Amino acid sequence: MVRFENVGMRYDAGPEVLRDVTFVLEAGSFTFLTGLSGAGKTTLLKLIYLAEPPSRGLITLFGRDLATAKRTALPALRRRIGVVFQDFRLLDHLSAFDNVALPLRLAGKRVSDYARDVEELLSWVGLGDRMNSAPPTLSGGEQQRVAIARAVVARPDLLIADEPTGNVDPEMGARLIRLFSELNRLGTTVLIATHDRTLIETARAREMRLVDGRLVELRASAA
Amino acid sequence: MMNNSAHVLPRDKGAAPLDFVIAVMAFLAALALGASLIADRAAAGWQSGLAAKLTVQVLPPETGDANAGLQAQIQAALDVLNATPGIAHAELISDTDTQALVEPWIGKNNLVSEIPLPRLIDATIVPGEEVDVAALTQKLKQAAPSALVDDHSRWIGRLGALAGAVRYSAYAILLLIAGATAAAVSFATRAGLSAHHEMVELLHQMGALPSFIARTVEWHYFISALMAALAGTLVAAVLFLGASGLESFGVEAVPFLPPLSLKWTEIPWLLAVPAATAAIAWATARISVLSVVKAIY
Repeated sequence: MVRFENVGMRYDAGPEVLRDVTFVLEAGSFTFLTGLSGAGKTTLLKLIYLAEPPSRGLITLFGRDLATAKRTALPALRRRIGVVFQDFRLLDHLSAFDNVALPLRLAGKRVSDYARDVEELLSWVGLGDRMNSAPPTLSGGEQQRVAIARAVVARPDLLIADEPTGNVDPEMGARLIRLFSELNRLGTTVLIATHDRTLIETARAREMRLVDGRLVELRASAA
Repeated sequence: MMNNSAHVLPRDKGAAPLDFVIAVMAFLAALALGASLIADRAAAGWQSGLAAKLTVQVLPPETGDANAGLQAQIQAALDVLNATPGIAHAELISDTDTQALVEPWIGKNNLVSEIPLPRLIDATIVPGEEVDVAALTQKLKQAAPSALVDDHSRWIGRLGALAGAVRYSAYAILLLIAGATAAAVSFATRAGLSAHHEMVELLHQMGALPSFIARTVEWHYFISALMAALAGTLVAAVLFLGASGLESFGVEAVPFLPPLSLKWTEIPWLLAVPAATAAIAWATARISVLSVVKAIY
């Protein structure tokens, strides 16, 4: 699903943020990415969800070598990835419903085809009564749940989440992890960057840790 | 809840100045287009009026009985003209009219009747037919040696050149306006995209095709430009129709120039202005968005 070989990353002429990162995410796997702030977690995720090209090394995504993939092939790869951004990145002028429906609209689906799925998902994350609310009127936790619903609504092949439970209470955090686990059970490969030790221990999934831009495998066994 | 691809990006709240610029551009473009239509029509009118006529000037003979000689040559010229294929009829301009022609220069006095004035013959050409001027000149030279033929070709050529100059000037103005409109829309699109850069980046990140992102922007500019250009063109059309109204009351907008009004049948031509403006805005916005998106990985 995802293969990194000796990947290095630096922004412009700055120092290397990632050094010789090598790992494989097998299809259908569930992995946590941990590390202190500034260790390079977000940069690593950006490379996976195709927000940045690497400075060096080889990345293979869905069996495609990104170094040789044409730019026109990238949008289709991106649509196979669901991303929960740390800062949510919701569109403030759209309702919660329309934010969640965005990946389905990008996939060319009609509102009549997806309206029910979107409503069910919003109800599942506890926002059934806030569907028509704009993000600025939602709390941080509610916005995070909209962001998560948007990332999973199209049943992506790969789900990447950057601190997805940072703004919700433990009960909602557990509920969201169940959502990720359910998606994983249905075949989605999941990679979650988090500081939440409780979450990691509960899920008992593989853990990769970034230390000063280098990747350390802490726990290889899947749950 | 939405059911189409519109409004994925918010509309710019600061777009009113662009709409005003586009309205002004469209107003100027409609004036230029109207001016070229008027110039074309006036030149065509003048040309057809002149091309349908021939003037033959018969000079008084320098020797002998000037009056008798002149009358003989006039009659000979009239005979030649009336026998020439393509000429409907030829008519001698009367003494009174001839004297009236020179009156502005010589004045109204007895001197006029004493000067041997050249006489003019006005020949009307059958509509749609052409007269072989070279052959006619040759024949006249034999029948009436002092007759000179003027087929107005010099004037027709000059009027044609004038109409061409007005028309090409109008085209140049239209091109300049089109370029300025494209530049304004390009600037506004890029400013708008810069303000919404994070949203554009997010859509791109989620796998939106560049054409999808372009569609979210280009129709907004298309509709806005169409409305603004319609407003500008409407003002220009009202001006032209107003000029027409004034002329129907006998008020001459600019002395010596042809009427500055457009006919009702010419007004639809002005609709080309908003149509072209909207198309330019649409294409410019699309090109701008695609170039911005292309710069993102």
